[in-house]
Amino acid sequence: MTLVRPWIALGVVGMAAALPADAQVPALGMDSSYGCTVCHAEHRRAFFTGVHAERGIRCHDCHGGNPTALERPAAHTGRFLGHPTKRQIATLCASCHSDPDRMRQYGLPTGQLAELHTSRHGQLLERGNPDAPTCTDCHESHLIRRTTDARSNTHPLNIPVLCARCHTDRTLMGKYGLRTNEFAEFAASAHGVALFQQENFAAPTCVGCHGSHSALPPGLTQVTDVCGHCHTLVRDAFARGPHGPVAARGAMQGCLACHGNHATVVVPSDSLAETCTRCHAAGTAQATLGVQLEERLVRAEGELHEAEAAIASLVRAGRDVVDARLRLRTARTAYLQIAQVEHSLDLDALDDLGLVVATATQAIGAAEESALEQRWEHKLLLVPVWFLALAVVVLAWFRLSEAQRPAGPEGRSR
Amino acid sequence: MPRRVWRWLREFWDDVRESMDASLLGIARFFGLLYGPIDRSLRIDQALKKALAYRLAPHVTWRHALGGITYLLLMVLVVTGVLLAFYYRPSAQEAHASIRFIVSEAPFGWLWRDLHVWAASLIVVVLLAHMARVFFTAAYKPPRETNWLLGFGLLVVVLAFGASGYLLPWDQWAYWTVTEALAVIGRVPLLGWFTDLVKGDDIVSGATLSRYFAIHVILLPWLLFALVGLHFGLVRRHGVAPPVEPPAAAKGGEPFYPNHLMRLLMAAAVVLAVAISAAALWPRPVGPVADPASPPAALVSTWVAVDVWRALAHFTGAIGIVLFGVLGLAMAALPLFDRSPERRLRHRPVAAGLGIAFFAVIILAWGMGRWLNVRTTKEPASQPAAAATASPVGGPAVLAPAAEPSIPQEGR
Repeated sequence: MTLVRPWIALGVVGMAAALPADAQVPALGMDSSYGCTVCHAEHRRAFFTGVHAERGIRCHDCHGGNPTALERPAAHTGRFLGHPTKRQIATLCASCHSDPDRMRQYGLPTGQLAELHTSRHGQLLERGNPDAPTCTDCHESHLIRRTTDARSNTHPLNIPVLCARCHTDRTLMGKYGLRTNEFAEFAASAHGVALFQQENFAAPTCVGCHGSHSALPPGLTQVTDVCGHCHTLVRDAFARGPHGPVAARGAMQGCLACHGNHATVVVPSDSLAETCTRCHAAGTAQATLGVQLEERLVRAEGELHEAEAAIASLVRAGRDVVDARLRLRTARTAYLQIAQVEHSLDLDALDDLGLVVATATQAIGAAEESALEQRWEHKLLLVPVWFLALAVVVLAWFRLSEAQRPAGPEGRSR
Repeated sequence: MPRRVWRWLREFWDDVRESMDASLLGIARFFGLLYGPIDRSLRIDQALKKALAYRLAPHVTWRHALGGITYLLLMVLVVTGVLLAFYYRPSAQEAHASIRFIVSEAPFGWLWRDLHVWAASLIVVVLLAHMARVFFTAAYKPPRETNWLLGFGLLVVVLAFGASGYLLPWDQWAYWTVTEALAVIGRVPLLGWFTDLVKGDDIVSGATLSRYFAIHVILLPWLLFALVGLHFGLVRRHGVAPPVEPPAAAKGGEPFYPNHLMRLLMAAAVVLAVAISAAALWPRPVGPVADPASPPAALVSTWVAVDVWRALAHFTGAIGIVLFGVLGLAMAALPLFDRSPERRLRHRPVAAGLGIAFFAVIILAWGMGRWLNVRTTKEPASQPAAAATASPVGGPAVLAPAAEPSIPQEGR
């Protein structure tokens, strides 16, 4: 007994030392000195995790009340808010998030509430419409995570799903005359494929084009610039061409005219001319221009494919392809430029770039051709080989039949 | 002037003839280049004539050429192997580049390389045919059981040659086939130490390449020539096995020269021409360089034994490999318990069943292996470069290299 006691004491000291001084997560998942989570057990997790918990923002900072009290009448006193309304929530969040002094240390913007008021969502919210979303409808109410956290609703991969929660609801959208197929269209679009299948976060989600807090569809004359945020060179080429001023006037849908909006597609080069005929009747000068554009694109693409196949065959034959690969890179670069410049509908510029593709790929093709020629020479070797082999067979056959011929004693002795 | 040269050559030959000991012919005989006994009391040219005139048993015909063809292919492999070794560099950094140099730059390098690849497949086929001939005519029965065991040892050595040579190209197919095979063998109880030993590292690496190269060009050749010498020595000691059904009237046999030698010449000419044709028409493509970090989309087999192996591994797993190994061991040990003088196939059902099962499994697995090969190479058909050319007998098929990304579409 006398021996055991010091060991226990030492053990307790050791355990205490092992705990960090500011450990926030107590063993039982609750902080007994904080009253709210005694009853509101379902919010204990949010109380300990998420960005607000990290910064020490606790229940009473938003809801008011007295957290030191453990029972109801006393706990729900003071500046107690309970369940705030949607409009109250927006002001509540903004009480900190619109304060530049508070947000400066986190590098966060402060204009969200002002932006919200410019959006359709915010306008409906102002009118007290119960369908209107407020902050907590998109950002969780208690457990709020960073946008870089994949578990957050506002992580790029989750944003389209988040918007789709309401925007695929037919009855809800029906009230406002909105469609509900945007999500499906987006998921199948070039942007959606890049985002969901390739996890390419450079691809825009809904907020990339519509804005987040200030969400609204861009106006007809704004479309070209919205796409141009990312596709700058294409936008410039488009503005140079005949379509540019027309789109700026709002007389055509800009980029959307050919590529669609939510279902953004890459127009395949072999259906380019067909796309032109959506607006320009076949046989007109414009439709003919489309046919000419298509010809050039299809040719360049075919040349690239042939060059790729040629390099693959050179690799299989053990050839050195360093030079061919560099030429292919040149050709690809020119092809990328074609894909941009074609938006200006400038045939001469396209021809200049097409020449680069053709020159580079022809050099690769020539390398393959010389390798193939050598393979043909290898096969030619078979002619003398088989000639020799058959000669040996025939001569040996004669010698054998001569030896086997029943003959006199001299014949045998050979 | 030419007359003088001619006379000098004749004098030289006379000197050689007079001074050489006939027992030198024994060396040629040891390596299987002569069949008849050497009369050491004669001069070397007379002893050679006598040995060439040696008459073989009358039933010896074309069927008995299979062993000789195996030996010829072995010689092809030795010669092409030595030529390849002049250029090949056995290191993880240089192996692939040296292979590329051999097939594209070195004079006739492509021929030596593809002849080596094709002879490696053909020798397995011809060796198995030789083995089947010996098995089905019961030529392995006493007193020739030792030679059956030696022959089986030679089969193992030839397979070990192929297995160790398979890694040397150091491309994706070589690397990952060896990795896969070592993984399967390593799972067989009691064999884990063996795979660790040949790997020399936690994964197949440059260390493994060095070991495989040493095994392929140093260890196995010594073993091979010892076994081949013994094999031929025992063939001469016991003679060719008598016919299963003795003919009513046995005539005297034909002399080795010219009759049998002419047959061998014909067979050799055709086999060499076939091997060269296969090498020129279906070259083994150079695969993408070995990358331990990423297995290829499709694994291409370039050796007939790998076809058999992959089919066994794919459809039956380690259990099938072990069972087939047991079947092989039973075949090897066959003459130890099958010692009755009965040689007709119908009257030895157990042995016949064993042999038929052995050869049938090999042929079936080979067919399945080819099918696997064609199937896996057809998968990446979306790429324009994926034109797969399948070819017979473990021959190389073509895989689309995954290195080239497709045409970029940005901005359109």
